Amino acid sequence: MSTVDASKTSGPAPVTDNYLTHTRGVWSWLFTLDHKRIGLMYLVSVLGSFFLGGIMALLVRTQLLTPEGLIMDQDQYNQVFTLHGAIMVFLVIIPSIPAALGNFVLPIMLGAKDVAFPRLNLFSYWLWIVGALCFVLALFTGGLDTGWTFYTPYSIDTGSAMGGVIPALTGVFILGFASIFTGMNFVVTIHRLRPPGMTWFRMPLFLWSIYATAIIQVLATPVLGITLALLAVERAFGIGIFNPALGGDPVLYQHFFWFYSHPAVYIMILPGMGIISDLIAVHSHRHIFGYSFIAWSSVAIAVFSFLVWGHHMFTSGQSELVTVVFSFITFSVAIPSAVKVFNWLATMYKGTISWNTPMLYGMGFIFIFTIGGLTGLHLGTLGTDVHLHDTYFVVAHFHYVMMGSALIAFIGGIHHWWPKMTGRMYSELWGRIAFTLVFIGFNLTFFSQFMLGSQGMPRRYASYPEDAGFQLYHILSTCGSYVLALGFFITAGYLIQSLIGGRRAPANPWGGRSLEWQCTSPPPHDNFAEAPTVGDCYDFSVLRWDENEQGYVWREDVSHPANEAHT
Amino acid sequence: MMSLLTMIGAAAPSKEATFWMPESASTVAPMVDGLMDFINIVCYIFFALVVAALFYFAIKYRQREGDYTFDSDGPTHNMALEITWTGIPTIIVIVMFWLGMQTYMDLRTAPANSYDVNVTAQKWSWTFQHPEFAVTEANELTVPANRPVRLIMASQDVLHSLYVPAFRVKQDVVPGRYTSLWFEATEPGTYQLYCAEYCGKDHSLMLATVHVLPWDEYQTKMGKLAREYEDIPDSQLPAYAINRLYNRCASCHSLDGSSGTGPSFKGLWDRTVNGTTEFTNGQSVGDLSGPGGEYELAENYIRSSIVQPQRHVVQGFTGAMPSFQGQLKERQIDALVLMMKHLDQVVDADGNIIESPNLGGDDAAEPEQEGASE
Amino acid sequence: MSHDHDHPDFLGHHWENPKQQFEAGKLGMWLFLTTEVLLFGGLFVAYTVWRSNYPELFKYGSQFLDTNWGATNTAVLLISSMTMAMAVTYAARGKMKAVVICLVLTLFGAAGFMAIKYVEYSHKFHEGFYPGLAFYDEPHASELWLPLDETATAAKAHAHQMDMDESAMLHAEALVRAELPEAPADAQNWNKSISGPGPAGLTTNLEQEELAEFTTFLPEFVTGDIEDAGEELAFAEHHEPGEEPHLSHPLQDPTRPTNAQKFFTIYFMMTGLHGIHVVIGGIVILWLLWRTLRGDFNREYYTPIDLGGLYWHVVDLIWIFLFPMFYLI
Repeated sequence: MSTVDASKTSGPAPVTDNYLTHTRGVWSWLFTLDHKRIGLMYLVSVLGSFFLGGIMALLVRTQLLTPEGLIMDQDQYNQVFTLHGAIMVFLVIIPSIPAALGNFVLPIMLGAKDVAFPRLNLFSYWLWIVGALCFVLALFTGGLDTGWTFYTPYSIDTGSAMGGVIPALTGVFILGFASIFTGMNFVVTIHRLRPPGMTWFRMPLFLWSIYATAIIQVLATPVLGITLALLAVERAFGIGIFNPALGGDPVLYQHFFWFYSHPAVYIMILPGMGIISDLIAVHSHRHIFGYSFIAWSSVAIAVFSFLVWGHHMFTSGQSELVTVVFSFITFSVAIPSAVKVFNWLATMYKGTISWNTPMLYGMGFIFIFTIGGLTGLHLGTLGTDVHLHDTYFVVAHFHYVMMGSALIAFIGGIHHWWPKMTGRMYSELWGRIAFTLVFIGFNLTFFSQFMLGSQGMPRRYASYPEDAGFQLYHILSTCGSYVLALGFFITAGYLIQSLIGGRRAPANPWGGRSLEWQCTSPPPHDNFAEAPTVGDCYDFSVLRWDENEQGYVWREDVSHPANEAHT
Repeated sequence: MMSLLTMIGAAAPSKEATFWMPESASTVAPMVDGLMDFINIVCYIFFALVVAALFYFAIKYRQREGDYTFDSDGPTHNMALEITWTGIPTIIVIVMFWLGMQTYMDLRTAPANSYDVNVTAQKWSWTFQHPEFAVTEANELTVPANRPVRLIMASQDVLHSLYVPAFRVKQDVVPGRYTSLWFEATEPGTYQLYCAEYCGKDHSLMLATVHVLPWDEYQTKMGKLAREYEDIPDSQLPAYAINRLYNRCASCHSLDGSSGTGPSFKGLWDRTVNGTTEFTNGQSVGDLSGPGGEYELAENYIRSSIVQPQRHVVQGFTGAMPSFQGQLKERQIDALVLMMKHLDQVVDADGNIIESPNLGGDDAAEPEQEGASE
Repeated sequence: MSHDHDHPDFLGHHWENPKQQFEAGKLGMWLFLTTEVLLFGGLFVAYTVWRSNYPELFKYGSQFLDTNWGATNTAVLLISSMTMAMAVTYAARGKMKAVVICLVLTLFGAAGFMAIKYVEYSHKFHEGFYPGLAFYDEPHASELWLPLDETATAAKAHAHQMDMDESAMLHAEALVRAELPEAPADAQNWNKSISGPGPAGLTTNLEQEELAEFTTFLPEFVTGDIEDAGEELAFAEHHEPGEEPHLSHPLQDPTRPTNAQKFFTIYFMMTGLHGIHVVIGGIVILWLLWRTLRGDFNREYYTPIDLGGLYWHVVDLIWIFLFPMFYLI
């Protein structure tokens, strides 16, 4: 228990041997088998991609300031929105929480020394890099203008779709395998590396959501792989499966594609929900409410996610009966999501809520996710979806869910675990300012898009009719996007600043009870000298604030966690 | 349950745009709007509850200075509460599903006496054919008011989607099969039609206008459109072509010499007559225009590129053009050929269409332009 | 990372004991195999959709697959699966020499399977059965139908007797043309349709005459091909009277349904993806063999052999589905 003890006794003095200083040199990073370093490399890569995708988003928004389009021609615009979508989905949101934060946090939270297959973990990171390079290759082989969905027959029409389709498909295929290997690693880690006392229902809820996510990653991604392989072969050789000119069926492609890509939506949002469950509990200093309902709702969402893909295709020409059935099943996803929101609120009830940056992101998530989830009702309802499908209403809805929820949870998670990952505290003041900008900017950007959509503005338009009354909403949205960008730049600024001049982080700055807060900040190379023992990870009453430490420590009058292992 | 909808939405039918919805001009629009209002109200209530609780708890239970005693006694679960907040949303979404399904069925089931219009979508224009009147319109759809209209749609190339926000209808147009939608316009007027499924470069320019006319006016207009090119004197055909037919070419063929998806019309006739146009197979018009050649008559090249565009694709282009065989009447093809020949008379040097060209014909006034400017 | 007797070399630093590591490895492998099955699952769905939409393609296409080769390959894989299972069992008993023998036998199975695949594929390509639109590419001269039609030969012999009387030659030609099937009209991308009845060569003893016949019957772009291809022409001359005629090129086959390329596309895609997996399996077995010879494994630790075996069985299992799907039904 030396590690756990260290957190009690040593002040926030520099930790001499941690995973950052354990070995040195570039190679010790590039070929590391340490899950923490791999997680950190993922984090840097994902944030780099997020920067690129964000630049694309700003270009898109700037273009739409005027009806005729401000800065680009049609081809450029189509390429920019395609890259924005493809980068954000495949390179940012899907790997963001599982591969970056999950890799870092999961084994420590679980009480393991590493993930089950460290070499596979490193391999998955390198696959990710190769996949990302394929996207760069796509830019140099003619660009990509198919939209991130690669809908047929446009994407197989070599005469009109740009030449980067096959490199991009290769990239997504490879990224898919990176995602599969991460998911496999997590499933096996959670199954086989839980230390004594860490029963399934003692796991922090973040682990439940990562587990549900990993299951989806393993089961859905191979189907995407083979779909894209079929698409690439169709484009290259003309096999006649998706090409109507050869007796193929373009709607079949949509079925194949959404069979993966709808579960993928939950690959994006489920880990976010997991982070929020932990953020709300830790920063409210209050035992999570309805643990098992939240845990099971994650599993329920994972199961339902495989049964609702057809709701992307209500106007695609699939049969009316199928459409009605998919609409019905789609509503079933609404229930577990609602259950989670209610449980988070109940957790805050009678809590001791810190208004610090991670908690602000947590509360922002509840606000944004409620809007995102409720507007899903408009789209699941058949009568209204016909009007709203493929308009900005859909764009606004999935940005509320994928960006406003998944990505906000990611940013919140970064703030939550930043002291643990880097050993430094960031500026709380700037954190709150940046959150305010992000929150206002986000809602301004995307709430106006709900109006645009329900008023009839179709998506993926580089220009729009002048007299339709869209311009005001576009201007509001674009202004919002600039505020949002400013918020993110400030965030990047103070986080980087904290690496240089930040206060040293205590082992437990927030008062978390899960195992990662029991090892030093940053954690040592092996996480735990020996497998730690586990209590109720949401019982915060055993902690007290220590002024010298500037963090939380165990109350002297409660028994040591080692002693309560099997109570 | 439908009475609930009627109560909320249809009871106060609104023709004007509201905060959420655009102007409504079809029989299904009030139903959709009523459904939208119902969902909105549910959403407002839930959103208000969640956000009120969020702010109330966040403020009331905020951590005060020096408050580090954490209550471990509060409730951590409550089965009755969990079942309540699982059950109530379940009931609400089932009601929502049911209402949505009913509206959807109305949206999808065309009445038996529908008036059919055939729609062809191609990158990046819409063609509407009225079989009853043998009239073809491009990027303009004229329909009668207060009569169910069914669109039977086919795509010549990629996916498109026909979307008229004012009618609350949308349906993808899929190559290799027919899809359909129907609506009954209630208000005469002009409405915007969009392509809602991404279809490539000029997706955002693939727009059309829907004109809703009372039945008698509609019949008059159709009759006029059906005869328009027959009645026009040959001297006026170029003007007719540039005003009434060119909008189907405009997305790919410019008039100012700039290359689009296809070659510009500017100077096309000269290139054809001189035989300088080169094809992707290495031949040129000149190779085929000698005595006995396929294009001995230069007019035949123009005609061939309209009805068999893939036969000879001009060097530097991808051959993306669909065939207009059967979509254009003989006299319309004549008009296009004449337009190519006399392009400088109907288009100025900058590529703008001249409003009243001097074509040397007797009747300078052009009745057909009236229809175009609508 | 201390390596005492409780923590042997093969045990990763993050594991408590060998059993935990083994179980994790096994679970990981099963998950990976699930993804493999799902990967093939997409193709199985494509097969199902096509088969239900176009049953005629499968009826037509499967007749060109050689069931004997398919059955042989099934047997080869089944036996190799057995030797793999034996390797795992011997490893558990610590009989490492037997493991080496079994792995070598399994490796032979993998190689044999691929060799037979090579024979089958090259035969298909030779006959003109390509996947995708390559199916409709201009046939190579050696793939053309060279019918040994006895009526035509007799007619020609008669014409010869008549001292090459022109009308008799025309008569002979007409006879031959009447025998030949119509060129299919529905071949997509087959713009340069072979004029008239389709390419034909006649088997005679006189090379000159045969060349003349080619020029009579074939469009220039094909005869040019043939004249340049001395060896292919020799192939044509191998046909003796009474010999079985060469299979028709699919493009000349009047019974060929529209979009026949789809059958061969899904055939090549599924068996090709499976073939890639066999190759990967072979590499894995080779690696296991090397590690066994190096002495990495003993009765305490043979996890890689066990997991490699699992992988090999799944590769085998997928073939068990592919064989009836393409060759039998």
